[in-house]
Order: sequence, then structure tokens, then C-alpha cells
Amino acid sequence: MTSRLLTVGRALAFVAIALLGCAIVFQLAGYPSAGMFGAIVAGAFIAPHAIVHTLRWAMPLFITAVGVLVAFRCGYFNIGAQGQFYFGAIAAAFVADAFGGGPPVFVIPLAIAAGVAGGALWALWPGFLRVRFGTDEVITTLMGNFIAALALLYVASGPLKDASGSGEVAAARPVAAALRIATSSGVSFTLVAIVVVIGVLMWLVVDRTAFGVLGSLAGRNPVMVVWQGARSSRIGLAAFLFSGGLAGLAGALELLGPSGRLLGGFAPTLGFSAILIALVAGLSVPATAVVSIFFGGLAAASLYLPVIAGYPAAAIDIINAAITLLITARAWPSFTRRSRAAA
Amino acid sequence: MTALACEGVTVTYGDVVALRDVSVGFDRARIHAVVGQNGAGKTTFARVCAGIVRPSGGRLTIGDEAVPVGSVRASRRSGVELVHQSFALPPSFTVAEALEFGSIERTAPVYSRRALERRWADHLASLDVPARLGDRIRDLPVETQQAVEIARALVSDARVLILDEPTAVLAPPAIERLFARLRRLQQSGVTVLVILHKIREVLAVAETVTVLRAGSLVERLLPAAGMRPADLAHAIVGTTGATDDGVTPSIHAAAESTARAALELAGASTRATPEGPALADVTLRVGCGEIVGIAGVEGNGQRTLVNALAALAPLESGRMTLAGKDVTRAPLLDRRARGLRIIPFERNVEGLSLGSALWQNWSARLLVAGRMLRLIDPQRLRSASRNALERWSVRFASVDQPASTLSGGNAQKVILAREIDDDATLIVAAQPTRGLDIAAMAFVWQALRDARARDCGVIVISSDLDELFDISDRIVVLVSGRVAGEFRAPYDLRAIGATMTAAHA
Repeated sequence: MTSRLLTVGRALAFVAIALLGCAIVFQLAGYPSAGMFGAIVAGAFIAPHAIVHTLRWAMPLFITAVGVLVAFRCGYFNIGAQGQFYFGAIAAAFVADAFGGGPPVFVIPLAIAAGVAGGALWALWPGFLRVRFGTDEVITTLMGNFIAALALLYVASGPLKDASGSGEVAAARPVAAALRIATSSGVSFTLVAIVVVIGVLMWLVVDRTAFGVLGSLAGRNPVMVVWQGARSSRIGLAAFLFSGGLAGLAGALELLGPSGRLLGGFAPTLGFSAILIALVAGLSVPATAVVSIFFGGLAAASLYLPVIAGYPAAAIDIINAAITLLITARAWPSFTRRSRAAA
Repeated sequence: MTALACEGVTVTYGDVVALRDVSVGFDRARIHAVVGQNGAGKTTFARVCAGIVRPSGGRLTIGDEAVPVGSVRASRRSGVELVHQSFALPPSFTVAEALEFGSIERTAPVYSRRALERRWADHLASLDVPARLGDRIRDLPVETQQAVEIARALVSDARVLILDEPTAVLAPPAIERLFARLRRLQQSGVTVLVILHKIREVLAVAETVTVLRAGSLVERLLPAAGMRPADLAHAIVGTTGATDDGVTPSIHAAAESTARAALELAGASTRATPEGPALADVTLRVGCGEIVGIAGVEGNGQRTLVNALAALAPLESGRMTLAGKDVTRAPLLDRRARGLRIIPFERNVEGLSLGSALWQNWSARLLVAGRMLRLIDPQRLRSASRNALERWSVRFASVDQPASTLSGGNAQKVILAREIDDDATLIVAAQPTRGLDIAAMAFVWQALRDARARDCGVIVISSDLDELFDISDRIVVLVSGRVAGEFRAPYDLRAIGATMTAAHA
């Protein structure tokens, strides 16, 4: 436990270094760096509704990051969370659209289940190719992201197109108000409750089940668990299904919550931020919750930087990129990629 | 003249002190042995000399010149080269490439294979290495790989050559050839430091012996000539009572013909694998309470046999029965449920997940049985594994430390602690003592004898005939995947040797 805290502490220190580096660069470029820190803190935690904005982003990031974490622990580099998130939202949108007038008590769980299934299916085929033929999952899941983004565009401007829309943005028909589990503020009791329950469940799965421990053994040495009699392909498929299912869940919650409708290219970096969060958190579920709130805060603050400090909106992207660079340099060696030869 | 000297070297890994205040100076152009039990700090010592490990205190002098500690570059520049325990040459390299890029001299940014081969032809020939410069490392037999590794170490005029347990991977005749090679190097002026743990080998090759025990230097540069094996064993272990190699021969009267069978393999055949030849019509019976030794020159189907027993190489024909039940088509999980236990060949690949915590490694056998998503209690598993590892006298600080922090012998004990339990009916031990020191070896043999006393069937695969003679109730010789002969005690070394090599004659 202490070593894990150390990992997270070290990662957060790297984040601090990244912020400091950005501040220096911004200062040299003529923007007051003190204003940057002020705006970030204000935008994330102090300004009216800042906490709500922070949580609004922290929750989908957390769910998706936990999914990424499960796959990474088992030694599979599923970087397709973004696409799985989209397919979760698409599947949920179809259900919500088809049963828009039905009783919400049934339709909402059904839509959420559809979202989980959609995300899981979008992770299943790379998982199958990986365990059956050894196809590199980095390539397949990455490519899956592009297909999913195009599928989202198609659905939002095709089957579920909002006829009343202007047509400038691919926008689908809005989800019936009765099916929404949060307003556009993005935070509600139902949503928080679902996220907390899922977080606890996944913490149990990762730390307190045979699957969790065997998965982490397999992630570091797949040959060893085979010699113990484990069916490594089943562990692998389960890892992909958990991973995609959680991203799909995040997509469904996003749709039924703050978004309220499918929009072409919405939340375009969520799946990638989730990868970053899982790595910063040292692949631990509790730490992922903390780190998600931090990154949720950064996302919320990105609205404030231009307004308060006069920064260009791209400043947050630069900060994110700087953090990514420093974290990836540090976080990879702890979980090495399983080699092809071992498969 | 001193070739290499350490003064007050101390190394700690977390809570474990690997080396404590070690001071020693090795004379030039002689063969020095460094011996000790597993975990005594031999490998750490070698790595300090080679600059791979930075000690927390102490000085390093090479050829009367102070060298900064913890710098591989500095050590190599001063002429110290290390031949690793597990070979470090890239398997996909050709011999010429391995030599070229193993040197610390600047290499040209562009090269042609032919130019490399021209450049290194003389070097390879002068060292009498039986390999062609165009051969890939991965295609060479282990012995030749080691010879290439030694040649690699000598490319830039090394003055001190350190070999970390070089005999662990070699068959007896190859060990003789290695020792001859080391003597030739010594005659050409190279100082050789060789880390060993078999007393017989120490006395065969070394001129001086230095003994490490639990990280401390207990004997410094004893002359090896005229030394009695028992004295050396005493210095290494710290207690008396160990005979040569620490193994007490015992005669076990196995009533094997009447005993129930732990394993029956009838006409078993497999396909050939990259690891070795196919099994061809192997019939093998192991009784409960019997130890059967599998002898053979390495690469004659031993690995295929273990893979077939583990259901990782499917049987093309034949049947396998485990404790009375047909398991020919059963997966490994079901066979393990019937009491099959395996101590695999490759400790660090097949046996342990080095990056994972000790308790996870130990618990793996329990975790694979049963539903995957059932809840477990990590604290309970931690304390159960702590108890088990203590019972098997593993040297460890915490069950949360990764397995990679253990020395070879301790790592092997973790596997024993996992694989030898009361429910075992057949234990397959593949090279269980490879790379272990005498105390750990004796420990392993005793563990297997205890298992036999509990009526467990045991298969021991070893390339060391002395070991097999000591422990086996019966010896089966494998040649090219076939059973070439079966022998009972008292064993006739010449007859078994002739059977083992018949196919090669």
C-alpha cells in the first residue's frame, strides 16, 4: 500500500513539474503564469459550480480509466477506450430512441446495459484476434477508434438524425427528458451513486478476486500462469470485455446524463485522458479515483483559462501534453508489455 | 600484483543487505573461485566489480587504479568483463554482430555483414570457438553460446574476466572443456574470477577460493591446492555435516512392483516442438512412493516429456493415467486437481512471475482452481504464503516484495513451497537444482524424499548423473524422445553413459 501511495505521489510530482514547465513557457510567451495557476484552481474548485464541473468530467473519466486499468494490468494495451466509449453511447442511444416512451425504470437500465454491451463488443474483436492469432491489440484497438468515430457521425446524421437541427453539426434526436439521469450540469444523485457502486465493484474485481490476482500475474508473465493450468485466453478475453464494457458504460452514462444526445465527435479526448489517468494512478483503482478528480478539474478549468486569464483555450491541451510526456516516461516500465513470443 | 580489489564494499537492496563490508584483492593471471550459498551475495559481488551495481559504500581498484563504482563503462574501460549467469547476447544477432556490438570501441555507423565476419574471424579462431561467424546466437547450443559470450567479453583486451556460475548450464564434458578454456586464458595473462557453487568444480579449476556467507566475506583467497572438500563445505555452509555436494546417499527400498501407480504413460507420442524432439512411443510407470530419474543428454526429449505431462504438448497417440484416472485428454487444470505438480525447467519464465509479489506467485496454484470471479481474501493468502515460505526457509523480507529480488535458490524454494503440498500425487521436477548451491540442493533432495515418504510419485529430470544416482529408485534413459534403457541401483555409470550417448556414436 505504501509503495502504491509512493507511485501516485511520484506521478503527481511529475504533474506538478509539468505545470511548472508550462507556466515558464507561458510566462515567456507573454501570459502571466500566476494567472494560469489561479485560473486552474478557480476553474476546478473555487468558482461557482466549479466542483460540479470537475465532477462532471471526473466521473466518465474515472469509469473509463478503470476499464483501461483492467486491461493494462492483464498485460493488454487496449488503447481503444475512446471507440468503446462511442459504441456504448451509440448502443444506449438506439435503445433510448426505440423505447423513448417506455417506463424509465425499465428503459434506463436497458439503455445502460446496451451501452455496456456495445463497448464490450467493440473490445471483443480485438481481444479475440489477440488471444487467438496474436494480432497486436495496440493496432486493432487504435484503428477501432477511427471506425467508432465515423460510426458515431453516421448514426448521429443518419438513423437517429435530428430533423429539426441546423445540419451544421451531426446531431441525433435528443434523449427523452424522462430518461435523463442528470441534467447538462452532469451531476446527479443517480449518476454519482452508479459511479461509486461501479468503482467499489471494480476495486473488488481487481484486488479481491482470483481473476484480479491471476490477471496481474499473467500481465507480467503469461507463461507462468499457463504452467499453473490457467486458461490465459479466457483471462485475456475477460480483460478486454471488462475494459470495453466499462468504457461503454461511461458512454451510456454520458448520453443519458450531461450530453442528452449523440453529437458527432463529442468528448473527443476522453478515452485518451483515461489511459493517462490509469497510468498516473499506477493502475490502482482508489488512486484512479483521486487522479480522475484532478484531471476532471483540469477539464473544468479549461473553460476558465480563456475567460479569467486571457489564455487561449489550447493552453489546456499544451498542459495535458506536457503531463503526458512526463508521465509516460515514468510509468511504463512498471508494467512491461507482454512479448509476442510469449503468446 | 593485484588485478582487481574491493575495499569495504556494502550493497543493500531495500531491507536486505546483499554485501557487507567486503574487502578482497585478486592476484593477476590466476583463476580465483568465489563461492557461497544462494543469497550469499556472489552475483551481487560480480556485478559490483563489473559496475552494474553501485554499492552504497566502498572502493573498487582495477589494475592498481581507482575506478568509480557503479559505472559499467569505467569498469569495462579498465578491462573488467562479466559473463552473465543467463546469457545476455541478443538471440537474433549473428556471432559476428554479437562480437562487434559487444565491444566498447566505437563502431562504424554503417557496416556490411561480410566486413564484420572478416574482422572477427581471427579472434574467434584464436579462442577456438566452434561456431561460424554467420550463425545466429539462438541457433547455437548452450555451450557454444557461452563460448561466444566469453569471446565477446574478450574482444577489447579484457584483463579480468568474471564468470557468474558458468557451469550451471553445462553438461559434464562441456564443463571440462570450459575449464580448459579458462586455463588457456589464464596462461595468456587474463585474471579469471569464476563464481561456482559445486565444491568438486571449485577444486578442479581454481587456484584460490574466496567464500561469501550471508553477504559477508568469511574466507579470503584460500589456496585451493590440497584443500579438503569437507573443509570447504564447512566454510560455505557454516556448519559441519555436509559431504561433497551436501547430498547424503540413501538406499530406499521401494516396493515399486506392488505399489499403486502415480503415473502411467502408455505408448505416448507427440509431435516435435521447437524445444526438442518428439516423444516416440514412451511407456513410463511411476509408482506411488517412488522416485524415477530421467537421464539423458540435454535435448533428447526431456522438455517434450514435461510439456506432455503438463498437457501443453498434446499426445498424438498413447494414454496417460494419473492416480488411476485417464487424463489423456484432460487439460492441465484437471491434471493439477488430480495432484500433478510441476517444478518446471525455466524457473524465471515458467515457474515465477518475477515482477509480481511473492504471495501472488505462491497463491497462483490455489487461485487457478475454482471460479475466476470469486472473492478472495488477500490478507489470508499473504499470511498463508508467509507461513509456507518460512517453513521452506526462504530468505525474504516481505511477501509483498517482487520475486525478482530473490536469489536463484530462494526463488526455487518458492516454487517448491507452492508445488510440494500434501495433495500432490505426482511431482515432476525438471532440473530442480540447476544453479543452486550445496545447501539448497540438499534441501531440494530432502523435500523430494519427504514427498516420496508421503507416498507421492516423483519424476526427476537432471543432466547430472551423480544427482540422479543419489536420489533415484530407478533411472530411465531418454535418447531422441525414446526410452533407451532402464536401470536399477546399484547403478553402472559406464552402462548408463553408453546408453545415453549410443545415438550419437
